[in-house]
This record gives sequence, structure tokens and C-alpha cells, in this order.
Amino acid sequence: MNRTLLIARREYGAYARTVGFWLSLLAFPLFAVLGGAVPLMIRSSEPVRAVAIVEEGPQASGLAAAVRDSLRNDAERRDARARETAEKAAASTGAPAGPGVAEGAMAGLSRPKMRLVATPTDISTLPAGPEQDAAVRRHLTDETPKEQRLDAVVFLNRADGKPTARVWTARATDDTVEDFIREALNSANRKAVFESAGIDPGVVDQTEAFRADVSVFSPKSASGGEVSFRDKLPAIIGLASGFLLWSLIITGASILLNSVMEEKSNKILEVLLSSASATEILTGKVLGVALLTLTVLAAWGGIGAAALFWFAPEQGGMVGDILLSGGMLAWFGAFMLGGYLMYAVLFAAIGAFCETPRDAQTLMGPIMMILVIPMITMQMALQTPDAPVVRIMSWIPFFTPFLMIARMPSDPPLIEVIGAMAGMFAFALLMVWIAGRAFRAGALSDVKLSWKAFAGAVRGGR
Amino acid sequence: MAAALTLDGVSKRYGEFQAVKDLSFEVEKGTICGFLGPNGAGKTSTIRMILGLQGVSAGRIVILGADDGRKVRDRIGFLPEERGLYKKMTPVDAIAFFGSLKGLPIGEGRRRAREMLDAQGLGASKRKKMKELSKGMAQKVQLIAAVVHRPEFVILDEPFSGLDPVNQQGLEAVIRGLAADGATVLFSTHVMQHAERLCDKVVLLARGQKAFEGTVTEARATSKRFLELEGAIEAAEAAALPGVTGVEVVSEIDGVRVLKAALGQGGKGQEALRAAFLGGLDVRRFELREPSLHDAFIGLTGDNPDVDQSTKAAEAAR
Repeated sequence: MNRTLLIARREYGAYARTVGFWLSLLAFPLFAVLGGAVPLMIRSSEPVRAVAIVEEGPQASGLAAAVRDSLRNDAERRDARARETAEKAAASTGAPAGPGVAEGAMAGLSRPKMRLVATPTDISTLPAGPEQDAAVRRHLTDETPKEQRLDAVVFLNRADGKPTARVWTARATDDTVEDFIREALNSANRKAVFESAGIDPGVVDQTEAFRADVSVFSPKSASGGEVSFRDKLPAIIGLASGFLLWSLIITGASILLNSVMEEKSNKILEVLLSSASATEILTGKVLGVALLTLTVLAAWGGIGAAALFWFAPEQGGMVGDILLSGGMLAWFGAFMLGGYLMYAVLFAAIGAFCETPRDAQTLMGPIMMILVIPMITMQMALQTPDAPVVRIMSWIPFFTPFLMIARMPSDPPLIEVIGAMAGMFAFALLMVWIAGRAFRAGALSDVKLSWKAFAGAVRGGR
Repeated sequence: MAAALTLDGVSKRYGEFQAVKDLSFEVEKGTICGFLGPNGAGKTSTIRMILGLQGVSAGRIVILGADDGRKVRDRIGFLPEERGLYKKMTPVDAIAFFGSLKGLPIGEGRRRAREMLDAQGLGASKRKKMKELSKGMAQKVQLIAAVVHRPEFVILDEPFSGLDPVNQQGLEAVIRGLAADGATVLFSTHVMQHAERLCDKVVLLARGQKAFEGTVTEARATSKRFLELEGAIEAAEAAALPGVTGVEVVSEIDGVRVLKAALGQGGKGQEALRAAFLGGLDVRRFELREPSLHDAFIGLTGDNPDVDQSTKAAEAAR
């Protein structure tokens, strides 16, 4: 086995044999799942608040009924929205509409946020004042048995003919009941105003209940007409690919930086250089970490695909179609190769000058700042992939891999793709040359890393 | 005897800093050569040039018949001054890995590693990770890693630094063993005693230039024998003794001095001692000393080999 492969094998094994590597590898999908699932879980596990309503006197008559109507209308709207979403998903995938996972999830998310309960008699029978307030406090605190405990008590009234409310809530920071009551009273007020203006109450109810049905059409949609989820998916996949590429490349390059730094600080680089050329060492290390990066990609991809096909097989099929058609995977591979090469050799060369991460900060700080730019621009590319700033930045070799892969689903001109890719590979080769010289000089150097030292190492010979 | 290594007019500059200047010497096959000089004298730069890790600014180096150390790197074993191995590897794996880079099959490397570790008394540490070994143990492992492929030429840069006296003795035995097996050994050190005990030949380096090349005996011969006198003696009184060409006060406590009196060509210690007693000098201790390599070095270069010659300017220039 030649030296390059020996070094690559050691590099791969040094990380792949550690538990920490596999834990950190699994951490990303785990956090991605948690990041997506936690808000859903919070929403679906949100308690349905028990709310008692009290009309304070005859002037408040009808307001409790208005709140009840509003609650019922809200429930109907949510049910309709859940049905509509499930139907659209079914239409996009071509699968028959039915009680599927997506519909179940929507139903879970459309749970009511509050329910009206009978007002306890110790509240309803007391006149407004300190004694009633004390009774309310009891029902809102843990002193009361759980089955009698309330989340909120709402006192409805009218002042100058306009609906008002006092909301007692068990949690001062929870404004759900407050918002709902405000909306319900606003609606009741609108209805009263319209009716007093002589408008038929039935018409007012219809107007209040109306929700416009808006459909989006585009000649670029798959059907040539109405835009479906399937039509939006390529752009989402492009953006996800850009982020994935960014994560993989930076993960790989950072592993390489740390690996070289460790060898430098442990004085191993000089021994290696007496056994293999700088080119062999650099190539071996870059290759070894590339294999690690591919392992990470395979693991992330495998976990993602398994999760997608398990939880949403129809959408998984669509993602598979998009990745396999139009050469998306091939483009991803090419941009990954060029991007990894550029950043890996640069980080390795920096590592050759450093013994601690603090040493590396001089150069890594500006580089990491530059790396934030494509992260921001990629999000812009999701909606406006042809915006001049996105197109121009796609030509900057440091940004090309991330921005071009994010733009690929929008079918950018082939000349732009090929041109930017050629520029990226030309720049990657230049980086290999520069980093090779810097790596050799840095490996034997005791000078502290600086831009001046780095440039001097590139200029200087052996 | 054929030369395994030849340096011919070799110089190395780092910007404005001249690290090595017009250095020429030879090392014969199967011999042990000490490359001596204080820290910063240019030893490590020279070794890196021999290995081909750094290019020469001028001159020519031929090692094992090749004009570039990189062409024969598989036939060379190298132990650098600053040592380290992969901390999470076991000694056997580390030795086998470095052996494999020199063309030794991994399996054979493991077999030899186990044998050599046993021979060095490290058999019990074979399965430990490098980070669990003591510094002395780790240095032994690294030495084994440098020679596991049985190189024809072994270069050891300050191999004794950081070792306790027992391990230093052990390392001396290893170096003798390498030479006995036919390897040529070049080792750098600023501790002259090791070179005195081990070397067939020494090359003295001071401020980047060769100060001497020859055997240890020849090096000592360049320096004068001297008398060490202790007592209430004035330097002028000692200087007046027959055969004495110069006197240096080594120490003085409460009027009792230790004096180092150099003997000139043909000067005899007995005559000086007789004259001291006849002259009524207060001689409490008298010793006739042959010059050491350390003395020879100081005599040849005017430098103390224990004093660091590297400077901030030199480091900056690098």
C-alpha cells in the first residue's frame, strides 16, 4: 500500500474508531429532528385551557354567547384547514385522500386552545368585589382540587355600549385566552355595529365566516397550471442541499484542521515528513477525511431517507425523484468535491502552523466570517434564485459550491453552472498548490501564524 | 571506508539569518558520528537538509549515494529533537504505522514492534495507549519506530534530551547495537559526555560553522592538559609554576581558590607539583586532568556547548 493510502487509512481509522465520532455524527440528525419535532410536540401537547365566563350584569347580556359562537367557528375553521391540507397533500402525491399521517398530524395541531366550563357557583353567586376576586384566586391556584381548578375566568361587561372584559389567568405570561376573548369581543362588536346599521344578521354571520380560497398557478409548475407542494419541493431540496454541503465541507475541513494541529503540537509532522513527502501527507490526510465526510454523508443521508420513507413515504418518493432526475446528485457530488478540496487544503495548511485552536484564530476568524455569507445568500436563493446578487456571488469560488447547488433546482443557465464550476475547480487547484507549499513550510516552522507568515511560506521554497 | 554521508560546502540561510555556513564533513559507513554543538548552532537545520526536509542554500549533500535524502528515505531512520506519537495509538500500532511508511509490511512491523518492545522492557505496555506511557517510555517507543524498518542510516536529533541517567545509558547501548548491526549513526547532542563514550568520530559545530572534524582523541588533543589546584593560592603563584602557560580561577571561597592551570607543550604535572611544595604554596588538592571533549569544544570554538546560541532574531528570520 502506498504512503498516501496508509496515511489516509490511519486518518480515517483514528476518527472512525472513536465513539465520539459516531455520537457527533448522530447528533446532527438528532438535533434536526428535535429542532423540527419539539415545536410540534409543544403545540400538540399544549393544554386545552379550562375557562369560565361570567356576564357581569344584564348590560353584558349576549357576550358569553358571542364567545361561545366564536369558539365554535374557530373549531370549524381549524377542521376545514386540516381537511384542506390533507387533500392537497393527497393531490400532490397522487395518493388517495384518507386518514394518513399528515392528516393525523394536522388534526393534532388543530386541537382547540381553550374550552368553556361551567362557572363555579362560589364565583357566579358572589357580587363583584374583593370576595369574588378571592374566590377567583382560589380556583386559579393549586389550593383548589385539580378537577375544580380553572386556567382562566373571564368577566364580560359593556362600557358605553362597547364590550369589555377582565381576564383572570392562572399564568400571567399566557395570553392565549386574552387574545381569543379580544378577537371574540371585536367580532361581537362588529356584528352589533352592522346590525344596528340595519344589515341582516345572517349576512353579517356569513361575512364573518368567509375565508377566501386562493390558488397559485405557474407555467413552471409540473402540471403547467396550479402550483403544488411537488413544485415547491425542488427549491427546498436545493436549499437543504446547500446547507448540507456547507455542513459537510466545514465539518470535514475542521476535522482536518484539528488533525494537523494535533500532529503539529505532538511533533508528529516532522517524523511524517521524514517518511513521506508533504504532498503525500497532505493528499493522504485530505483523502482520509474525505472518506470520513462521505461516511457522515452516508449516515445522514441514510437516516434522513429512512425517516422520510417511514413517516412520509409519498414525500420521500418525491424527494427521491427530484434527486435522481436532472443530475442533482451528480451536481452535488461535483460541488462537494471542489468545495471540499478548496477548504480542506486551506484548513490543513493553517493547521500546519498551529499547535492550539487559539493559534488558528488569526486566520480562521476572517474565514469563518466569509463562510457566513453563503449561508445568508442561500436563503435568498430559495425565493429569488436569479437575483443579480445571488448570480454574481455564485461565481466567487469560495461560495460557488453552496450557492450553485442551492440554485440548481431553478435550472440556472448551463453556461453559468459550467463556468462557475470550472472557476471553482481552477481555484481549488490553485489552493492545493498554495496550501501544499504553506503546509510544508508550516510543518517545520516555529513561527506564530499570521497572514504575513502564511504568505511568506507560500512564496518561500523548500 | 566508503562514505555513507558527504556534506560539501553546505550553507543554509533563512532570510537574513545564516543558520549554516560552508559546512563539509563525511560520515563513513557503519560508524557512529557525533554532531556536536550548542542549541542554535545549526545542527537541526543541517539534519533537516540531510533528510531533504529543507533545501540547501548552497553546497551539496550525498547520503547513501543519493543527492537528495528524500530519494532514500526508506533506508533512513530519523528521531527528531521534539518527539511525539499519536496519543491514542498503542505502541505496537504506532511503530507498525511508521514502519509501514518506510515500506515495512504492517504485519511484519507489528511482529518486530512486539519483539523490540519486549527487548526494551516495555512488553507490559504494548496494549496501552501512548498517552498512558511515561515520557521515557514514549521516547523508547519513538526510537523503536525510527529503526523498526532496520535502516542503513540512522539520524538521531538530541536523542538523550529528557531522558533520566538510566534511560540515557540504555539509549547508548541501543546506538552501539545499531552500529554493531551495520547501520551508520549520526546523532546530534550538546552533551559532550555521550559523544565521548559513543563516537568513532565527532563534528563540532559552532555558530553554523564547522569547528572540528575527527576522532574524540584528536579533538581532545587540540586542547591542553591542565592542573586543578585547590588552596590559599594566588593565581600569579600558580602561573609561575614550571610548564604552566595560563591560569583561570574557577572558584574562591574564604580565600581558598580552585585554580585551573593549563600545561604547555612538554609541561609535566610532577614538576609543577614539586615546585609548588618547594615554593611553600598551600596546596590542599592537586589533580592532573586530561582535557575532555567539553574542554576541547571550548578551546576550539570559544563557546560553551551548554549555552544556547539561538537568538530571537534567528527565530524571527526562520
